[in-house]
Amino acid sequence: MRLPKFDYLEPHTLEEALELRSKAGERGEILAGGTDLLVRMKQRLKRPSFLITLKNLKELEGVMMAEGELTIGAKTSLRDVIRSPWIQRYAKGLAEALSSVGAYTIQHVRGTIGGNLCQDTRCLYYNQSAFWRSGRAPCHKVGGKICYAREGSDRCRSTNQSDGATALLALDARVTLQSLRGERTLGVSDLFTMKGEAPLDISSDEILTTIRIPIASQSAASAYERISYRSAIDFPVACAAVVIEAEDRTIKRARIAVGAMGNAPLLMIQAAELLDGKSLDDEEARAKAAKIAMDHASAFAVDNVGATVEWRVSMVEVLVRRALRRACEAARGIREGS
Amino acid sequence: MPEYSYIGKRMPRIDSLAKVTGAAKYTADLKFPRMLVGKVLRSPLPHARILNIDASRALKLSGVKAVVTGKDTYGEKWGVFRYTQDQMFLPLDKVRYFGEEVAAVAATDEDTALEALELIKVDYEELPAVFDPMEAIAPGAPLIHDDFPQNINIHVHIEVGDVEGGFAKSYLVREDTFTAAEESYFQGEPYAVVARFDLDGNLEIWMPNAGPHMKAKPLSNALRIPLHKVHVRKIAIGGAFGGRSEISPADFICALLAKKTGRPVKIVYTREENTVCTRQGHSMIATIKTGVDKTGRVLARDVTCYMDGGAYSSTGPIATSVPFLCMEQAYKMDSVRYNGYRIYTNKPIRGMIRVHGRAFACGVDTQLDMIAEELGMDPVEIRLVNAREPGEYTPTRSYVASCAMKETILKAAEKARWKEKWGKLPKWRGIGIGCNSVQTGFPMGIRGGSQAIIKFNEDGGATVISGVVDNGQGNDNMLVQIAAEELGLRPEDIQLVTADTEVTPLDPGAYSQVSTFIGGQAVRLAAQDARKKLFQIAARALEAHPDDLVARDRMIFVKGVPHKGLPIQKVIRMGLSQGISVAGEGSYWPKVDPKREWVQNPYGQMCEAFSFGTTIAEVEVDPETGKVKVLEVVAAQDVGFALNPLVLEGQFQGAVAMGGQGGMLTEYHFWDGGRVMNPTQLEYKVPLAIDMPRIHTIIVESVDPKGPYGAKEAGMSIAMSAAQAYSAAICNAIGVYLKDYPLTPDKILKAIREKQEGEGKPNQ
Amino acid sequence: MSKRILKFKVNGEDVELAVEPHWTLLEALREELDLTGTKEGCSEGVCGSCTVLVNGAPVRACLTLALEVEGSEILTVEGLGSPDGLDPLQRAFIERGAVQCGFCTSGMLMAAKGLLLENPNPSQEDIKRALAGNICRCTGYIKIIEAVEEAASLSATPTHESK
Repeated sequence: MRLPKFDYLEPHTLEEALELRSKAGERGEILAGGTDLLVRMKQRLKRPSFLITLKNLKELEGVMMAEGELTIGAKTSLRDVIRSPWIQRYAKGLAEALSSVGAYTIQHVRGTIGGNLCQDTRCLYYNQSAFWRSGRAPCHKVGGKICYAREGSDRCRSTNQSDGATALLALDARVTLQSLRGERTLGVSDLFTMKGEAPLDISSDEILTTIRIPIASQSAASAYERISYRSAIDFPVACAAVVIEAEDRTIKRARIAVGAMGNAPLLMIQAAELLDGKSLDDEEARAKAAKIAMDHASAFAVDNVGATVEWRVSMVEVLVRRALRRACEAARGIREGS
Repeated sequence: MPEYSYIGKRMPRIDSLAKVTGAAKYTADLKFPRMLVGKVLRSPLPHARILNIDASRALKLSGVKAVVTGKDTYGEKWGVFRYTQDQMFLPLDKVRYFGEEVAAVAATDEDTALEALELIKVDYEELPAVFDPMEAIAPGAPLIHDDFPQNINIHVHIEVGDVEGGFAKSYLVREDTFTAAEESYFQGEPYAVVARFDLDGNLEIWMPNAGPHMKAKPLSNALRIPLHKVHVRKIAIGGAFGGRSEISPADFICALLAKKTGRPVKIVYTREENTVCTRQGHSMIATIKTGVDKTGRVLARDVTCYMDGGAYSSTGPIATSVPFLCMEQAYKMDSVRYNGYRIYTNKPIRGMIRVHGRAFACGVDTQLDMIAEELGMDPVEIRLVNAREPGEYTPTRSYVASCAMKETILKAAEKARWKEKWGKLPKWRGIGIGCNSVQTGFPMGIRGGSQAIIKFNEDGGATVISGVVDNGQGNDNMLVQIAAEELGLRPEDIQLVTADTEVTPLDPGAYSQVSTFIGGQAVRLAAQDARKKLFQIAARALEAHPDDLVARDRMIFVKGVPHKGLPIQKVIRMGLSQGISVAGEGSYWPKVDPKREWVQNPYGQMCEAFSFGTTIAEVEVDPETGKVKVLEVVAAQDVGFALNPLVLEGQFQGAVAMGGQGGMLTEYHFWDGGRVMNPTQLEYKVPLAIDMPRIHTIIVESVDPKGPYGAKEAGMSIAMSAAQAYSAAICNAIGVYLKDYPLTPDKILKAIREKQEGEGKPNQ
Repeated sequence: MSKRILKFKVNGEDVELAVEPHWTLLEALREELDLTGTKEGCSEGVCGSCTVLVNGAPVRACLTLALEVEGSEILTVEGLGSPDGLDPLQRAFIERGAVQCGFCTSGMLMAAKGLLLENPNPSQEDIKRALAGNICRCTGYIKIIEAVEEAASLSATPTHESK
């Protein structure tokens, strides 16, 4: 399959990149790893006139730890994030999430954490070749007025299937976006517009440069669970990320994020609140929380990623429960100094 | 057992070196001077009349050298069989599936060709389409082909014995319906064609194929050029699995573009085109009614199958028959009725595929398990009761000369520790068995036999000329092993000229499982012929009788007196100096019933040998997710004789992956009307290395009287018994008989939950 | 779009190539350098037939722009082994029967090579994970995994075997 033609712009500094990004505007796309973008271009879902490559911008790489916060350059490869001892220690759930992305030989070396976070939403009626989509009216996400995934829907129902985004939401991460106009930092949850047509609140002159993960406490533990038919290559059809902060074997604060349901990863506030004050060993509470998460997720799931909605939604309960169990075990382990 | 030098030995394949160095050339790797890029314009509608095609703007684009449409053809319809001629390679009247060829361009580069496609304007009148086979045969359904009322493409009717009487006498009768969505080949190599004409009007053409001679004749017909001017060339092929047997519109289109432009043209399909626009497997609804006596022996069986054939016939009669034939070979059956319906829909074209009709195969075996349960037998026992034995006739009257089905059952059961495990595994673990049989060939009329020629070089090397094609299964190596063995040379002394219709004689092709049985046999006979002639020359020089001579390791010597011999090289030169050039010729034609026909007369000797096998699988099901972890698989197969156990093991393992791991767990197509929603390996879940279980392979040798060294089919059958075994193991693990394939996690979980609810248990 | 000059190393040789921005590394290798050992099996990064090593790490050539590998060292299947002999991986693939139709073979070899360069003593699980993104339709993977295990257990010196 052939890529469409475009102009290749090669900045050597972030400043240069921001200038090019500003000039290109809507007609430009950022090229980080390209493992998702190039596929969409081959399918003619995206036809940028300009690709602005980040290949020379080493300043956007690296994992650092300072002042209670992990700072990850958006262009850090999945492999480097996974292998970072800081991430393994303080954001294990993120390492697990990124490890489960596709396969090592596809995404882990070239793929970037920024790219995975900003992965565009997916839908099997949309992520198809130009030919496949021809012969009928375009859908919302391509600028049309129809949704093929859910009859009668007046908006795009594409699904966010990013492992990284789900984990970062649970970790309460924040992202920094830079442009010639300045810089802004926002929580991951604010990054998502809840609009399938344009799922991210990133202006066409902005570049996402940094991801920041607060280290809530020394005894926080995180875990990630996902499911797909095969053990590699596949996007998740349901996934869950949790963070547990505990003190004296009691849960102080929990965060639960569920992905592959709806336009953006979902933060399950009610389910997480149920765990406040509960013991790390309270299996029943975890099961209850998982069920609440599942019930909430069911409102968002649309049949557009290949497995039945019924099954995917049931898997939310299983994945949240399993992630919670592992995070609680890990929190207990940290507590006990293991 | 005779002592062989190469036959029966674990020998690395001769074609591996080229493949591990990247030197092997597949069709898309070919590059010729001034070669053009061809691209096909396809219908974006599943059913429509073609009103007009305007290519004028495309032709004006700089770099475009030709455009072809139906108007460039002779307007004839082609079919694999005379009674299934329903397809124009470039249609004039209407398109019948989303993706069908409508026009094609040849341009100097790919970007230009793609741009040109967008400039071709086609006016369609959309017609109502039908996508479900049961809807397609219902009254009022849109008619896809005028000559085929009710959209019934093929009806195979087979009836033997007294079916109703059998049911009446039965102790137990069950009727169950099994369904399966279609599966797909997903050969590693996407389809591609390269074609060029020379100034004498000879066509050279390369494409992945399962029988170059099967491609040459229809091309000759379609292009109206003499057959001897169509040269389908040898090329490395990246898999076939049944989906590359007959001519493809791309072959014809590429040749047409080459003719029109006077330049070589290459068409390379995208993965999506390979999935949508070549062939797929059939989806199927199989209703099976079986009556047994108290011992579990089948007294009568009645099977009705509805198969979704897609928009054109392809190998319809074969695909509609083979699922039944595999069953009637595997199991004893005096009375049986079969009605197989292949139905047209506005979907991509379906063909023969390695796991022929998983609904049928898994249905028959699952039903046997259900019957066994009711009778208080175990699945192994009921299979032993019904297993085919040598010296019997199948219901449609094929004599089975060699058969070790029972041995495969017993050996597989022993290796899998069936007795320890059946009924004794922990909760959510299951074990299951599947048995199958595949025919080694079918009647192919004037193309049913293979001929081989062997010539020598003065330095003692030999060249084998044979029409046998290698799709990746190791046929080239098989020919070398046989030739080396019979000629008394070493494998490195043998050159191959194969699968080239200009040079090689007729051969039935690989898709009917006959490459070893017929093609290999022809080479063996040719080698024996050559050897006989060499012995005549050597005998005089050695003052011995030709019957006392032996050829081994480049020498001809008197039996038992290895030091009294002559190098083969010398014997050849001696012959030449006597004015005798030695060459060998051999041909093999199986003795089949020439009157047997798929539809008109489905009775008589089908082929000379059948392979038989048993697969047992052990699985563990996650009751919370429905996902299946396959722990261990044992595949035992009666292959007649193992020419190369190393190659055979690879075939067994690949078959388990395709038929079981993929075929039963994750592989199926799903649809948006006429659009297949998972055309690539991302969403069509072919199995991965990380999910594969331990596989034990057991080779059983019944030594067929007709097969070369006793060998018969070995590549296809295990895929079917693996599908059956996986299905049975999962059903055993969850205590529910599932009837809709593949057994994806959602179906398994649903069955588990429904069973728990039925038993009043809470969800675990 | 005008072409740009791309300077990189392929199989140890310096290469200078005029490429268009929208060309992938796969297309550049196959069509401009006639290195057709790397295959196009799906064009969307899923099947693994296009796997090559860029600076020692495995990537999908079909999802890498040619211009992205400026200054990099590329290793393709044609660069495995040496004029003196085959790479142990190649030898093991042949001897273990890990090659059937061969279409996935170069991708498998390069993914395996990438693994062994980083982890010369992989466990079977490591191998399965490293090859998880390479699809084979013929072999069922068993002999491929065995071949990688065998190659890992041999020394890195190729034997003197003609290619």
